[in-house]
Amino acid sequence: MGNSPISNRIRELRFFHDEMTQQQLAEKVGVTRQTIIAMEKGAYSPSLELAFRIARVFGTKLEDVFTFEQDADSMSS
Amino acid sequence: MTYQQRNILVSLTISILVLAYYLFRWAGMMRAGGLVAEDVYRLWGLMIGISIAANIFGVILTQIVSAIVYRIRTNQDEKFIEDERDRLIDLRGTRIAYLTFSLGVLLSMLTMVLGRPPLVMFNLLIFSGLTAQILADLSRLAIYRRGF
Repeated sequence: MGNSPISNRIRELRFFHDEMTQQQLAEKVGVTRQTIIAMEKGAYSPSLELAFRIARVFGTKLEDVFTFEQDADSMSS
Repeated sequence: MTYQQRNILVSLTISILVLAYYLFRWAGMMRAGGLVAEDVYRLWGLMIGISIAANIFGVILTQIVSAIVYRIRTNQDEKFIEDERDRLIDLRGTRIAYLTFSLGVLLSMLTMVLGRPPLVMFNLLIFSGLTAQILADLSRLAIYRRGF
């Protein structure tokens, strides 16, 4: 995983959607496959617009795909 | 290698070649007895002209060749997509270029303060401009290689 406080379930959701490939997802949301790879590794946090697009492809809510994992201590600082 | 990485690699190669040519000509001038205003200004114009033209033609040529190769290999048309991550990486590279060039401008102004001839300033400006482009391309490539 990367150092982003945002984690995601894209890989898992792809698997449960007829084993959708990274390329297929990339084409559906209008990005490159490298961006999907970076997101799955947690190295890249997508924009809100892209996050909504991905959630829409999987027919689910945004928070079911992305989770903000920063703890309360670091948020208050 | 993606379309963006190819373009960066071409730009980087061209910038390194232009910088090498500039240093070669500059060393030649120094060996011949020092910097002459007319030669330095001509070299200045030449460097900027070559750099812009070579980058434009290099990128166009790379796109044409890679599109042909991709078509032959996959029997499909290559899609040139630039997404938000590509733009972010490009911006990070541009920031490094600005920082490097700003430092170069600052140093060249310092040479004026120290009473050095304007030719030194001109040389420093072109050198920092080319270095900025190289560092920007290197940082973009590094980010692509790292994943982000």
